[in-house]
Amino acid sequence: MFWRILSRLLWASRGRLLLALLAVTSGAAVCAALVNLDLDAGEKFTREFRTLGANVIVAPQADQDSTPTMDEAVMMRIAAMSAPEVVAAAPYVYIVANTGQQTAPIPVIVAGTWFDQVARMNSWWKIDGQWMTQRDDEAQCMVGANAARQLGVAPGGHLTLRYLGREAQFAVAGVMTSGDSEDNQIFISLPAAQSLAQLGDRVALAQISVRGATPVLEDFVRRLGVALPDLEVRPVRQLAATEGHLLERIRSLLFVTVVLILVLSAMGVLAATAGLAIERRRDVGLMKAIGGSVRRVMRFFFAEAMVIAVIGGAIGGGLGLLLSRWIGWRVFSAEITPRLIVLPLTIAAMMIVALAGALPLRLLGRVRPAEILRGE
Amino acid sequence: MASIIVADRLTKTFQSVRALDDVSFEVAEGEWIAIMGPSGSGKTSLINIFGGLDQPTSGRAVVDGVEVGSLNEKSLTRYRSEKIGFMFQQFHLVPYLSAVENVMLAQYFHSMADEAQAAEALVRVGLGERLEHLPTQLSGGEQQRVALARALINHPKLILADEPTGNLDEANERIVLDLLCELHEAGHTILLVTHSAEIGRMADRRIELAHGRLHQIAANRR
Repeated sequence: MFWRILSRLLWASRGRLLLALLAVTSGAAVCAALVNLDLDAGEKFTREFRTLGANVIVAPQADQDSTPTMDEAVMMRIAAMSAPEVVAAAPYVYIVANTGQQTAPIPVIVAGTWFDQVARMNSWWKIDGQWMTQRDDEAQCMVGANAARQLGVAPGGHLTLRYLGREAQFAVAGVMTSGDSEDNQIFISLPAAQSLAQLGDRVALAQISVRGATPVLEDFVRRLGVALPDLEVRPVRQLAATEGHLLERIRSLLFVTVVLILVLSAMGVLAATAGLAIERRRDVGLMKAIGGSVRRVMRFFFAEAMVIAVIGGAIGGGLGLLLSRWIGWRVFSAEITPRLIVLPLTIAAMMIVALAGALPLRLLGRVRPAEILRGE
Repeated sequence: MASIIVADRLTKTFQSVRALDDVSFEVAEGEWIAIMGPSGSGKTSLINIFGGLDQPTSGRAVVDGVEVGSLNEKSLTRYRSEKIGFMFQQFHLVPYLSAVENVMLAQYFHSMADEAQAAEALVRVGLGERLEHLPTQLSGGEQQRVALARALINHPKLILADEPTGNLDEANERIVLDLLCELHEAGHTILLVTHSAEIGRMADRRIELAHGRLHQIAANRR
């Protein structure tokens, strides 16, 4: 009998209940999408952060020897770890070379590195011209925007670098803007820099970009330290902390948004049920008059709210998972995995929302049958 | 015969209005009592107190040994579902439930709904063909008969009818009154509020109220 009456109630008030269902479904859809994004956020956001440069540095111990360099083979030892969290790793050699006229030399900082790796960890750099891609390209260079302006070079131009009596010529492949110290530097391939500086297979340091939240980064640094006991391995703490804070803020924003949407959904249900409560005063008065207890009568109305919560939560939850995939493609250009745990979570949240929104119906419990039957 | 209803110095006031003023009477089991009087004389207040819908301001209202004024909300609910069958002038059916479901609703609140029994109750009041009709699809007389079937379904000790024919045409009034006569003959106790002298004469006794006070109690000749 309970379900029979409930189905009649639902049908009789379908107009108002449809509004409540709409509020619950739309709220559920957005909440489910955001919760699903949040569950995937750690991985997706840190993957985005890893285009923002290196966050781990490997360098020779400061007091190891007089020339602070290390064997280039360190790159193979890093690669041998096969760590999936490593996005890119690039060796660096830095020298201060001269350019311009021999009679009026201009000192510039020259970095020798692996361009394919640098491009992966700094994909946000703006390039005028093109990226160099070959690790052994000794004919081309890339010039930081400030240096290019100072030296008056542009993509397609030429540059001569002199260091300790040696000289090498390079074609400018591209001018890059990083917004950082790289804008003042000239980038050449690692072999070209080693040749110019007569460094053999030595490098000054290695920069590594590691994907993952702070604990992942710390774990990687610990393992790398064990693998390279003779070298100094250190995280770029400021960057890691910034990423952590940013991630935390994004998650806080998602949380606040979800709470706001839940509140708005509850208000939508509230608006619909407030009207229902007025409509049903007479029915409740009558039911109480013929022997219905407050508990039994109110059970119908709260069951009605639960039906709306479950249907709205399930439909909205499903739509939300689709929405999160769409957001994933649009915002992260990545596939967001639908987490099925989101569905029961959304339905449970919508049950709370529907119960909160159905509070006006509780007032019906106070209806005095005599007043209703008198027509008050 | 033992009294099933005792009104002992019943008084009911609504703010400054005295709806019932020191009313006392007794009703024996199986009696049909017509409560009469002009509008505002306290008839409905009296019915509501015995039906457990209102509390007396002072005095005692006893039905089948239970003092209604002393019951808490939970006990009142049980009292209404077990001892009382209501009929109202406005019928008061649940509009979105069919005739048989309206009867079943009273069963559900009492104990357990039984569709076959509810349908049988409707057959007894001549509505065997109208079981699945909604109240809006029934005439006034038919709605009142559904209300009567609902009032009787839980075998109440007392039937309280507040102007049950007030909104009916003559033909339907006759049908409902005949059904009440049958119930009376079957031994039911009926307290019926009416303005009609003719209906009043059908009862065993008439309790006449005026301005909330008991004006007179008169026995009808048979």
